[in-house]
Amino acid sequence: MNALEQTILLEPATLAEALQLQADEATRGLPLAGGTDLMVQWESGVRPPPPRALNIKSLPELRELQLDNSTLVIGAGVTHATLRRAPLVCEHAPSLAHAAAEIGGAQIQALGTIGGSIGNASPAGDLAPSLLVADAEVELASVRGARRVPVASFLLGYRKLDLAPDELIVRFHIPVLPPGAREGWRKLGPRAAQAISKVMGSYRGRIENGRIAQFAVALGSVAPTAIRLRGVEQWLIGRAIDSDTLAGAEQRAADEVHPIADIRSTAEYRRWVSGRLVRSFLEQLATS
Amino acid sequence: MKKIIRTWTINGEARTVEIPPMRRLLDVLREDLELKGTKEGCGEGECGACSVLLNGEPVTACLIAAGQVPEGADILTVEGLERTEGGRLLQKLYVEKGAAQCGFCIPGMLIASYAYLQNPDRDNTDHALRDAHAGNICRCTGYVKIVEAVRAAAEQWPKPSPLPSPGGRG
Ligand SMILES: Cc1cc2nc3c(=O)[nH]c(=O)nc-3n(C[C@H](O)[C@H](O)[C@H](O)COP(=O)(O)OP(=O)(O)OC[C@H]3O[C@@H](n4cnc5c(N)ncnc54)[C@H](O)[C@@H]3O)c2cc1C
Repeated sequence: MNALEQTILLEPATLAEALQLQADEATRGLPLAGGTDLMVQWESGVRPPPPRALNIKSLPELRELQLDNSTLVIGAGVTHATLRRAPLVCEHAPSLAHAAAEIGGAQIQALGTIGGSIGNASPAGDLAPSLLVADAEVELASVRGARRVPVASFLLGYRKLDLAPDELIVRFHIPVLPPGAREGWRKLGPRAAQAISKVMGSYRGRIENGRIAQFAVALGSVAPTAIRLRGVEQWLIGRAIDSDTLAGAEQRAADEVHPIADIRSTAEYRRWVSGRLVRSFLEQLATS
Repeated sequence: MKKIIRTWTINGEARTVEIPPMRRLLDVLREDLELKGTKEGCGEGECGACSVLLNGEPVTACLIAAGQVPEGADILTVEGLERTEGGRLLQKLYVEKGAAQCGFCIPGMLIASYAYLQNPDRDNTDHALRDAHAGNICRCTGYVKIVEAVRAAAEQWPKPSPLPSPGGRG
């Protein structure tokens, strides 16, 4: 029997049961959702299998997807396949739907979840930028109670989250795309599918009377977590999208990121691409 | 290790297994159930050779702990494909178009094709067809003949779906 088969699989039937198990160190298991990160890490030996895994894949409470006034509520267990297809997501958080559609291939999309993408805490997770530009919040729960945190402050650092060991990610609250605003998503990698991004990102913006009234942009794989480029955003407000604005934003974006070199790309290339991505977002916004 | 007992519908038949819950679905299919048609390529979800349909959706069986597959789940492997009209059509067209060379990726590729073609809302553009196969890597064909086979199958695809409806998936 291999090492993974020694792991005990806990199978709570409800969220309450799951939280009860997580409350005590002696019964707690590592949350296992779609397994598209964990199974790979365990099988490749990057990380040893834990003594206990907590199967949260079948928990009905994590599967919700609904519109609550002007907030889209998405359960942590909603899969990428659902995100890309659900009319509610396509309409109210289009860049999230677009990002989900470009994760892995159909098989990974059918398994992987939004909770797992954020829970994996990788700077290359493709869903974080779209949550950041929407000022989304993540809701966490434990037997101690529930709390809501902005995704921006939930992502503490490389593989670090503001998540206590007894807590589970339950759902995301995503302010819908406001009237007149537009979103976009773009990812650069070695091939179109089934590839981890070198740089990727999303924006949400709105033009009013020919000037930028609102602009949020977030990039991933350019820092220890996905980040908002607050400096560029502030600089852009009130400007018309002309060639000076495009050049200025491109330069500022390249200056604002602090990427590293790794097996997937060099820091220099990532910095350059970051600027180009922001420029292309603005060009797209200008044509809206 | 405490084993679990699960009964699933595999290729239309009820099959019961007694297994460690963290055994990969791929190993349960190949070793416990001796369904060797499903292949292991990379073991990391990248290549798609181990694709099967789980409640109507294509998934990589190497990334699934069998204990996560609920009681009563419906699983279709390449062995079950030839029992379906669409599966037989795909088989014929893959042969006619020369879509298989070494053949190792083909069980998973056929599953991806079948999943794509079974979707009544399928988008018939070249992009959508290729996107539906993006999780399956083939090192021989260059994909052109696979795309031709699937495009031909799309034109002749049988209307009513013989596949049980997906149950309980978001
Ligand atoms: C072949 C392949 C291609 C891929 N391509 C891409 C890609 O293009 N872009 C991309 O972004 N990702 C990609 N991925 C990575 C992966 O699909 C995602 O990160 C996925 O969203 C993880 O979700 P999951 O449900 O499978 O997580 P799991 O593997 O089950 O869990 C991941 C982590 O999150 C934790 N976790 C999960 N759910 C919760 C919860 N509710 N509360 C607390 N913690 C939780 C787990 O404990 C674990 O630490 C790819 C993976 C593979 C195998």
